Amino acid sequence: MTTAAALRAEALAARLPPLVVAADRVASTVVQGVHGRRRAGTGDAFWQFRPFLPGDQPTRVDWRQSAKSDRLFIRETEWEAAQTVALWSDASLSMEHVFGRDRPTKRERADLLLAALASLLLRGGERVRLMGGTGPSRSHAGRGALPGVVRGLASIGKSGALPAPDPSLPRHARIVLIGDFLAPLEEINAAVATLAGWPLQGHIVQVLDPDEATLGEGNRAFSGRVRFEWGATEGVLVPRVESVRGEYQARLARHREGLAGIASAYGWTLLTHRTDQPPESALLALWQALGPQ
Amino acid sequence: MLTLGPIAFAAPWLLLALPALPVLWWLLRVTPPAPKRVAFPALRLLRDLLPPEETPARTPWWLLLLRLVAAALVIVGLARPILGPGGTGAAGEGTLLLAIDDGWAAAADWPVRMAAATAALERAGREGRRAALLATAPSETNEPPRVIGPMPVEDLRARLAALRPKPWAPDHAAALAAFQAWRAATPGGIGSFLLSDGLEHAAPESAGTAAPLAAALAQAGPLSIGLAAGQPVRLLPPPTAEADRLGVTVLQTALPVAAEAGVLARTADGRTLARAAIAIPAGAGRGEGTLELPVELRNQVVRLEIEGAASAGAVVLLDERYRRRPVGLLPAAEESADTPLIGDLFYIARALDPYAEIRRGRLDALLSRPIAVLALADRTVPEGPEREALRRWVEQGGTLLRFAGPRLAESPDPLLPVQLRAERQLGGALSWEQPQRLASFPDTSPFAGLPVPAEVTISRQVLAEPSPRLSDRTWARLADGTPLVTEAPLGKGRIVLFHITANAEWSDLPLSGLFVQMLRRILALSAGVQGAEGEAPLAPLETLDGFGRLGAASPAAAALAADRIDQTVPSPRHPPGWYGTAGRDAGTDPGQAAYRRALNLGGAVAAPRAAPPPPAGASVVALAGVPAERDLGPWLLAAAMGLLVADLLIALWLRGAIARPAMARRAAVVGLLVLMATPALAQTRAEEPGFAQATRLAYVTTGDAAVNETVRMGLVGLSDFMNRRTAAALADPVGVTPGIDDLSVFPLLYWVVLPDAPQPDAQAVAALNAFMRNGGIILFDTRDEGTGDGYSPGAKAALRRITRDLAIPPLAPVAEDHVLRRAFYLLPDLPGRFSGGQVWVARDQDRANDSVSPVIIGGHDWASA
Repeated sequence: MTTAAALRAEALAARLPPLVVAADRVASTVVQGVHGRRRAGTGDAFWQFRPFLPGDQPTRVDWRQSAKSDRLFIRETEWEAAQTVALWSDASLSMEHVFGRDRPTKRERADLLLAALASLLLRGGERVRLMGGTGPSRSHAGRGALPGVVRGLASIGKSGALPAPDPSLPRHARIVLIGDFLAPLEEINAAVATLAGWPLQGHIVQVLDPDEATLGEGNRAFSGRVRFEWGATEGVLVPRVESVRGEYQARLARHREGLAGIASAYGWTLLTHRTDQPPESALLALWQALGPQ
Repeated sequence: MLTLGPIAFAAPWLLLALPALPVLWWLLRVTPPAPKRVAFPALRLLRDLLPPEETPARTPWWLLLLRLVAAALVIVGLARPILGPGGTGAAGEGTLLLAIDDGWAAAADWPVRMAAATAALERAGREGRRAALLATAPSETNEPPRVIGPMPVEDLRARLAALRPKPWAPDHAAALAAFQAWRAATPGGIGSFLLSDGLEHAAPESAGTAAPLAAALAQAGPLSIGLAAGQPVRLLPPPTAEADRLGVTVLQTALPVAAEAGVLARTADGRTLARAAIAIPAGAGRGEGTLELPVELRNQVVRLEIEGAASAGAVVLLDERYRRRPVGLLPAAEESADTPLIGDLFYIARALDPYAEIRRGRLDALLSRPIAVLALADRTVPEGPEREALRRWVEQGGTLLRFAGPRLAESPDPLLPVQLRAERQLGGALSWEQPQRLASFPDTSPFAGLPVPAEVTISRQVLAEPSPRLSDRTWARLADGTPLVTEAPLGKGRIVLFHITANAEWSDLPLSGLFVQMLRRILALSAGVQGAEGEAPLAPLETLDGFGRLGAASPAAAALAADRIDQTVPSPRHPPGWYGTAGRDAGTDPGQAAYRRALNLGGAVAAPRAAPPPPAGASVVALAGVPAERDLGPWLLAAAMGLLVADLLIALWLRGAIARPAMARRAAVVGLLVLMATPALAQTRAEEPGFAQATRLAYVTTGDAAVNETVRMGLVGLSDFMNRRTAAALADPVGVTPGIDDLSVFPLLYWVVLPDAPQPDAQAVAALNAFMRNGGIILFDTRDEGTGDGYSPGAKAALRRITRDLAIPPLAPVAEDHVLRRAFYLLPDLPGRFSGGQVWVARDQDRANDSVSPVIIGGHDWASA
């Protein structure tokens, strides 16, 4: 992705209010951020006064407040933390297949969604981290970090395998996986189980081309006698595409149900997005999924 | 050329494609064709989506066989297989000379002859010989016979196919001369094939010797003679016309077995009116028979032909000499002459129509064409050129038939058989005398023997001045001896006078069948068509071709003098057919020619005689036994096409693309229902007899029952009033529907025009027009007078709609002195339920209907008053 792509993602993200990710888990590894956790902790903003309890360090006594009465009070500040959101976009060859000239490839759409989400998150002060990259993974923060994120997209592995958590990934982070998820359900389940066991709270975005979703309904190339091919494998000869379309769509629906089952089993969410739909709708849905619950 | 048993192939190299059929098999096996290739990432989902392997895509073996058979048929068909090759060509080497008799006698079995000639030609072509053609009859353009060729068979084939039989006799002498000239120019070996018509065409005195042409051909090389064995050549001479029959004769070459020939009498449009079966005994050359035909049918016959023999010699055209006599009718006043039942010419025209051709028009127009009888109904002939022309015509042989009447009684002219004295009335209100009956006819009268019906009475007549010869000139008398029909010769013709009118005014005679009989006797007496038949040339109008079919005159045909037509032998310059002077529409329809004569082949050529035996050394081939070569190619290709169509249908069916025929069945059911619904109206109207037994008024039923009842009650009141106050005896009025009910029995039709009245259909319009023409009155009532559009809006428009197609005469308002206003009472404003409006009747100019207006149109709603 070029700078122009980064700018486009910025523009897309600018149409939404800054995304505020509500962290619901506390972890010691959390880097302090700009928004409170609505509970006492380390931070700058005042949270509450509480009576001095035995064991508290005397240095924490707020003398100004304590002087107003007979009791000693400790001033507590709100715990402010920055959530880390790990992002991953499928970079396999299947994502780059051009179905039609009038719409983007799944890869382009997935990268756009990812960049836009990253822009939103960075603007909201969250930390953003790319998964699956070849280089050393690190978290980005700050508004100016978006170009770096976009540059990092190019380094995502082409294998299409779901990423495994690397040791530097904070626990209880969020993860957003964008891809077509057409791999066998068992593989997806295994990868998701690993991620969920880190533990990570995840969101799966399945991006499909309309021709994939419907087996080319209304597309004249997908009619009659067709040999479907992909990669080096032997193709599938369909004598009459029209006759198998219904069966294909049912099978795709079952696959999606399997995905949804995997997602719900780990408390994750699943979104399906088609490249002929506007990206804003998918981004909005993601924002709602990532927002306060 | 490749010959396999009974089948030969004209293009055998095409059969080399047959080994390619296995390739076709392989090509068909690899169907279906290579699929489209589509890259598809979600391939995994498509795997195992289909049942194992695509067995349905493999072509069924029987469909494969079907396609292979179709392909094989195409290959074999294109190789032009011929069934039964060979034919009976002439033996020998060198050029094949086809000598063909193409005169009239060859036409009857022309296809067989052409098949034999073609077979011989094809065989010569297969043997690589050249061929020549000699047709023995002169061509249509009057060129003598000549030898065409020698030339390759392919070139001669078209010329042979173009050969047609000629409607005249072949000229063997000229053909022999042509052959000898050709032989001198092109020496070399020849073999000849003579297709003889089996007749001796030379002059009778030289008969008996071997035919010189055949002899010459046999001398030049091997000769085969094709003869239609067992088939007599038949000729139909013109018939003899008798009173009520036509005597027909059939001439033929003698056969050792008895035969029967059918002679058909046909009309100009090709209908067959009668058939005469003519038995021809064994060994005889002729048979005779008669065609029994009523005169009226006989007059329609324009041609006789021998059944099953398509030849110019088997056709006789019947011209005026065999047809009915033309009769001119001349009334005193042309306008009212045809009025049914009372017109001057009504009865004569109806009596003569079946037996004679009726002509109408002015006297000079009638006399300008040949005419047999001229009937003058109460018409005086003023002095001047008209009387002179009439007298001249009678003196040349015409029969002048006159009927008496008021005008003739007033001013008799000299063109009468007797001098007229006075008019007398027999019977009547103020006379004691009774109407007279007819006496039986004297033996000298042409009417002798006709039965005299007792109911015929004469109530009025003109009387003849007594003279010594009156008795001789009288053909019919009354019971008291008064002459009724008198006659006098004048020159070659005669004048006949009926002392009564030609309609039923003075007597009942025109009503009786006797009148018809008398007129027919007079017609039979008339000396036939009177007219000059001089040396005026008659142009050919239509000529017969060799098959006896009429067509446009051939370009070489020349005009023929009328008085020489009986001596003319048909030839290229004078082909048989119609000759005549062009008359009205003669260019487009020769039947309309003013005058035409027929030149028939049968009357001009000698009776057919069998040809002398063939010269020694010639082989005789029976033509009938030669099977024609049959090209199987088109049939095979058609079969292949049918198989391919079947293949297409099967393919569609296999793909489920053929819709079920349920739609067609549904449509058929609907159509049947519609058909069943139509007769409902006809069934609701039962037959109501007895309308004709009493005079009654009628009204046209409308769609409104209340209106119908109102009108009926109004007419009932009117009928009662008339029964009470006048001598008329009217029965109850009835409602009628024009076009369905017979209107002829009603004097008056009351028609209330409702705004929604539909336009009458064609049948109703015809019935209403006939009703008005024959004296009926239609009273249209729009029931809206003075109310504007208030009471019956749209009735005027409905009236316009109804009368659009009716023959309404010019209308005028009812005048002050019109009969309607003062017939019984003085009625200044013709009051009905409304009054004061304008009432319209026909303008008083047409005296044909006794000045009674056929239509009265008003809006006074008289029936409701």
